[in-house]
Amino acid sequence: MKPIREQIKEKPWLGWAIFLLTIVVVFLLGLLASSVMERRAEAVFAYTPKVEHSPTEPRNEVWGQNFPKEYQSYMKTKDTTFASKYNGGAMIDMLEVDPRLVVLWAGYGFAKDYNQGRGHSYAVEDIHKTLRTGGPTEDRQSPMPNTCWTCKSPDVPRLMAEMGPAEFYKGKWDEKGHEVMNSIGCADCHDSETMNLKITRPALVEAFERMGKDINEASHQEMRSLVCAQCHVEYYFNKKTHPGSPYLTFPWDKGMSAEAMEEYYDEIEFSDWTHKLSRAPMLKAQHPGYEVYLTGVHAKRGVSCADCHMPYKSEGGTKFTDHHIQSPLNNVANSCQVCHREETASLVEDVYERQDRIIENRDKLEELIVRMHVEAKTAWDLGATEEQMKDILMDIRHAQWRWDYAAASHGGSFHSPVETGRVISTGITVAQEGRIKLARLLADLGHNKEVPYPDITTKAKAQEFIGLPVDKLKAEKKEFLETLLPKWKEEAKKREAGYATSMK
Amino acid sequence: MTKKFIDFLKPPEHWRVPVLLAAGVFIGLGVYVLYVSRAHSYLSDDPKTCVNCHIMAPQYATWSHSAHREVATCNDCHVPHDNVFNTYYFKAKDGMRHASVFTMRAEPQVIFIKEEGQHVVQQNCVRCHEQLITDDKLLAHKPDVHQNISDRFCWECHRETPHGRVNSLSSVPHARVPVPESPLPDWLKDLNKK
Repeated sequence: MKPIREQIKEKPWLGWAIFLLTIVVVFLLGLLASSVMERRAEAVFAYTPKVEHSPTEPRNEVWGQNFPKEYQSYMKTKDTTFASKYNGGAMIDMLEVDPRLVVLWAGYGFAKDYNQGRGHSYAVEDIHKTLRTGGPTEDRQSPMPNTCWTCKSPDVPRLMAEMGPAEFYKGKWDEKGHEVMNSIGCADCHDSETMNLKITRPALVEAFERMGKDINEASHQEMRSLVCAQCHVEYYFNKKTHPGSPYLTFPWDKGMSAEAMEEYYDEIEFSDWTHKLSRAPMLKAQHPGYEVYLTGVHAKRGVSCADCHMPYKSEGGTKFTDHHIQSPLNNVANSCQVCHREETASLVEDVYERQDRIIENRDKLEELIVRMHVEAKTAWDLGATEEQMKDILMDIRHAQWRWDYAAASHGGSFHSPVETGRVISTGITVAQEGRIKLARLLADLGHNKEVPYPDITTKAKAQEFIGLPVDKLKAEKKEFLETLLPKWKEEAKKREAGYATSMK
Repeated sequence: MTKKFIDFLKPPEHWRVPVLLAAGVFIGLGVYVLYVSRAHSYLSDDPKTCVNCHIMAPQYATWSHSAHREVATCNDCHVPHDNVFNTYYFKAKDGMRHASVFTMRAEPQVIFIKEEGQHVVQQNCVRCHEQLITDDKLLAHKPDVHQNISDRFCWECHRETPHGRVNSLSSVPHARVPVPESPLPDWLKDLNKK
């Protein structure tokens, strides 16, 4: 065959044909290259967030644009229809259910108002409405400090980033009311850059440090409980470490059991309030949910809070974490039944059975403590001395602390029925010891008969018994809700309108 | 022979420069296509290669959350290992099919394994877990164990191994998967920023 150059000499069209063919091939190659580039670019775009926002963005609906499935399931925490045997998603007036509580907390805010909480998305609304925060107006302050905001909102990490935690805690509750407007949500548990779980409240980090542990070493599975443990734990306001600032602190230095924390509080001579009837230096357990959970069998087997309260779900072929944080009893299929192959009714029955058994003794202990307060008051009235009362008051303090540790841990009778039962039984022992001392003292004072149990069959009667001006409190609250609160909302709206990321 | 071929291709004297330029464009574009499609990575066993096409992200994400992550790469299961020629023949054939489907945008919303691939995976299950399924001690508990496992695929029972049960292109929208990033080298990006 002749070389191509000679063929072209003879047939010039052949040169043109080769030229055109090359054009076509290079053109197609170019198309392929651009197709590869396009599909590569898709990979970049598929993982690009819809909105960019600041790391401390407090508005859940802004984060929700990037994570619609998680956000929409979170919004279901607004649902209040589910009711279990003792708790559920609805607000329940616990003082009405159990008026003994009013006497136990006489002289303290919880005697005014105490409700079974609703979902996370109501956190801010409900703290506005509770009588405990009082009715602040332009010239009347709330009885509570700013520390009470700490667990209510993703505005809190924002403010702490701006001013530091000690400064944030300073002052009365109404001073930062206009700053805290978004309910518990995304920024409380997530890092905005990576969406990793993140501890945003300093108290937990500091408690770990004091126990000689580094919270940054926690595994992902541990974090699925630790983000909850930022708030669902026992804590107190330490007024000594940062002068002028009720500094949120976890009393875990000696351990997390009821006895260890009790010892911690006794050693620093801390008390939340002095009881109005018995004058005992009282402790209020907040909600040692995490501490009690740790003693239970589920924790031992490595089950996290999220495994049951925020189980995985799939929707339209997508698997994600259900952010409808709620009682697993309302979602047995995705929580319990992932591991336990029993009928729903039978699993729910197991829970109720434990709750029934625990509450039986809890109620008994509660009654004993009511009696102690009333008997101690009688002793004071009959002229008992401080010296005579000293031991008795400590018994009252310890008995009620143990009762509260069990009662306020919510879910504790399921999370760890054995530990909860144990704590209540030690409480009964302490209470009975105290009542023997009381009986002796009363006899010495010439009162050798039963101190009558007060008529506290309803919330109203109990509040009247401890002399609480409920009508006045309600009137002040109403004034706050009608005058100051709208102003707070207005200010918050103005502030958020100024954020760089706007809602579409 | 080669010399003859080159002689045959040699352009006329006065065409030499344009032909050199054209050939350069052609080869350069070819190399660019290889680079931008990360063709070199297909010679490796690195699972990151399989998410060069981002639609494989769910498969990568589910595998990287499974126990098999510790011991098996994509190729360990999805490419036959009976002999080296068959390994590369199958890998090339499957790879070309995937690349064509991806380029033509013909991928389904839910990707299913083809029958040929199923047999490959099954062979590879057996390749590693042979001890487990041929141990005659099992017969003491389950006399019919061999019949029961020889007429079906492992994953008819082990349905979540290793990719889970939920399967679609959008099953793991937020998973962190090492999909290829911008092909621009860093120095060029830095230059663009200035």
